[in-house]
Amino acid sequence: MLELSHYLVLGAILFSLGVAGIFLNRKNALILLMSIELILLAVNFNFIAFSSALGDIHGQVFVFFILTVAAAESAIGLAILVVLFRNRDTINVGDLDSMKG
Amino acid sequence: MIELIIFYVFAAVLIFAATMVITARNPVHSALFLVLAFFNSGVLWLLAQAEFLGIAVVLVYVGAVMVLFLFVVMMLDINVAPLREGFARYLPVGVLVGAAMLLEMLLVLGSGELSAVGLAGGASEALGGVGTAQSNTALIGNVLYTIYVYPFEVAAVVLMLAIIAAIMLTLRRRSGTKHQDIAKQVHTRKAERLRVVRMNPEKRD
Amino acid sequence: MAEILELVWILAKIVVLLVPLLIAVAYMTYAERKVIGWIQLRRGPNRVGAYGLLQPFADALKLMLKEIVLPLNANRGLFVIAPMLSIMPALAAWAVLPVGQGLVIADVNAGLLYVLAMASLGVYGVIVAGWASNSKYALLGALRAGAQVVSYEIAMGFALVGVLMASGSLNISEIVEAQAGPIWNWFWLPLLPLFIVYWISGVAETNRLPFDVAEGESEIVAGFHVEYSGMAFAVFFLAEYANMILISGLAAIMFLGGWYSPFHGLPVLGPIFDLVPGMIWFCLKVAFFLFCYIWFRGTFPRYRYDQIMRLGWKVLIPVTVVWLVVESVFILTGFGPWF
Repeated sequence: MLELSHYLVLGAILFSLGVAGIFLNRKNALILLMSIELILLAVNFNFIAFSSALGDIHGQVFVFFILTVAAAESAIGLAILVVLFRNRDTINVGDLDSMKG
Repeated sequence: MIELIIFYVFAAVLIFAATMVITARNPVHSALFLVLAFFNSGVLWLLAQAEFLGIAVVLVYVGAVMVLFLFVVMMLDINVAPLREGFARYLPVGVLVGAAMLLEMLLVLGSGELSAVGLAGGASEALGGVGTAQSNTALIGNVLYTIYVYPFEVAAVVLMLAIIAAIMLTLRRRSGTKHQDIAKQVHTRKAERLRVVRMNPEKRD
Repeated sequence: MAEILELVWILAKIVVLLVPLLIAVAYMTYAERKVIGWIQLRRGPNRVGAYGLLQPFADALKLMLKEIVLPLNANRGLFVIAPMLSIMPALAAWAVLPVGQGLVIADVNAGLLYVLAMASLGVYGVIVAGWASNSKYALLGALRAGAQVVSYEIAMGFALVGVLMASGSLNISEIVEAQAGPIWNWFWLPLLPLFIVYWISGVAETNRLPFDVAEGESEIVAGFHVEYSGMAFAVFFLAEYANMILISGLAAIMFLGGWYSPFHGLPVLGPIFDLVPGMIWFCLKVAFFLFCYIWFRGTFPRYRYDQIMRLGWKVLIPVTVVWLVVESVFILTGFGPWF
C-alpha cells in the first residue's frame, strides 16, 4: 500500500540532492540550471503526493503551472548561457567578474 | 504489493539518476541522467494517479526542454576541467548542507502526523482514477479553464515571453551568409541577368 | 496468483501484437525496394526465395554476422544504448493503439497524450547516437535531425489537438468510435488541412524523404548513424521503419476511421463490407499510408534544410492554429454531420 510519506521522503531526498548539486557545481552554470530543475521536480512531487492523498485536483493544477514556469526559466537560462559563451568563451560562473567594483 | 515494488524500483533509479546529475564528470551525461530522472518521476506520478501530469512531464520535459539542454551542452565547446576545480573542496560542504536539509525534512515527516496516510485513500473519484466517470485530464481541464483561467493565461504569456526572449537573445546577423530572398529572385528582369554580345565571325585562313 | 495471471495475459497480448509488427517492419524494407524498383522500371530484389520474398531474412542474417565496430574515443555505453533508445518508443507507442474494435493492449484514458509522449522520445536515439559516435558528420546529422523532429512535433501535436477537439476524448478507442460511419464521416474531411499537416509532419518526424537531411547520404554521408555497423545499424534501420508504421497507424486511427469500413452504416453496402474484420480494414489503411511513404521517396527531391525549417514553422504551424479556430466555430455551431 503506497503511503503519502513514501512520496514526501522521495521529494525530500530529491530536494536535498538539488541543493547539494548547487554547492558542488558552483562554477558550472549548466549544472546549476539542472540542479534548479531537480529542486522544482522535488516540489512537484510534494504537490502531487498531497493532491493524491487529499483527493484534491487543485494540487495538480499547481504542478502544471510550475512546469510551465520552469520550462520558460530553462529556455531563457539556456539562451543567456549561449550568449554568454559567445561573448566570453566560458560558462564558468567564477569568470564573470567584469562588474566587480 | 506490485505498486510498492514499482515505486521502490523507480524511486531507486530516480535517486541514482539525480545523484549522477550533480556528480557526473561530463555535462552531457548530467543532462542525460536528468532525462532519466524526469522519465522516472513521470512514472511515479502516474502511480500517484496524476495521469495527465505524469505523461505531460515526459512530453514537455523529456521531449522538449531536455532536448534544448542537450543541444546547448553539445554545441558549446566547454572545457570541463576548470569547471570541476572546486568539486573536491566543496564536496564536504555540499554533502553536509544536503544531509542537514534532508534530516530536517525527515524529522518533520517523522513527527507522526503523516505516517499512515494512504495515497488516494478512497479519493480516486476526485482524481479521475480508473473506472471513474471523468478522466484525470478532464478534471484538470474543468478547474484550469474556470477557476484558474487568469493564471492560465498569465502562464501562456510567460511562455510567449520566454520564446521571444530566447530568440532575441540568441539571434545574430552574420555577414557573408548566402540567404535566399525569394521576392528579389522573382523580381529580376531579363535585362539584369542577360547580356547579348555581338561577335563578328573570325576570318578563316 | 491472480496478479501473476494478469501479468502473463498482458505479456501474451504484447507478444501477439509485436510479432506481426516486427514481421511487418521486416517486410516493409522488402516492399520499399520492390515499389521503388517498379517506379524506376527495375525488378527489385528477386533472387532470395520466390520473388525475393526471403530477402529481409538474408539481410538480417548478413547484418548479424558483421562486426559491430566501436569508433576510437566513442562513448561506449551511450553508443550501445542509442539504437535501443530509437526503436523502443516506436514499439512502446503501440500499447494504446487499437488495431480493431476492443483489440488494444491498454485502453487508457490519456492514450493520445501517451502516444505523443512516446513519439517525442524518439529523438533521443538520434541525438545520443550522433554525440556518442565522436564524429562530426554524426553530430551534424544528429543536430539537424533533432531540430527537425522537435520542430515538426509541434505541428503534429497541434494537428492531433484538432482530432481530440472533434472527438472530445483523449482515449484512442473513443476517437475511432467518434468517426463511426461511412468514409465521409471520418475526420479527414472536416479536418482536411490538419490531416495534410499531420501527414507532412509525420514524414518529417520519421526523417524520410523528402525531409531526410538527417541522413542526407549525398551531403553528410549518412548522418547520425554513419559510425554504426552490423546489428547496431540494423536496429536503427528497423527503428526507422517501425516509426513509419507507427505514424501510418496513427494517421489511420486519427483521420481515416481506424477499424471502420468505408461503407459502415450504409443501407446495403454497410453490412456486406462489415463482414470483413475491422483489423483488415485497419491494416489496409496503414498499408495505404506506407505506400505513400515509398511513393514520396520515389517522387520528390530532397528539401534544403532551411526550407524544411521554414515549412515547419512558417507554414504548417500557422495553418494548424487557424484551422483550430475554424474548427471551434464548427463545434459551436454544430456544423455538418461531424460536430
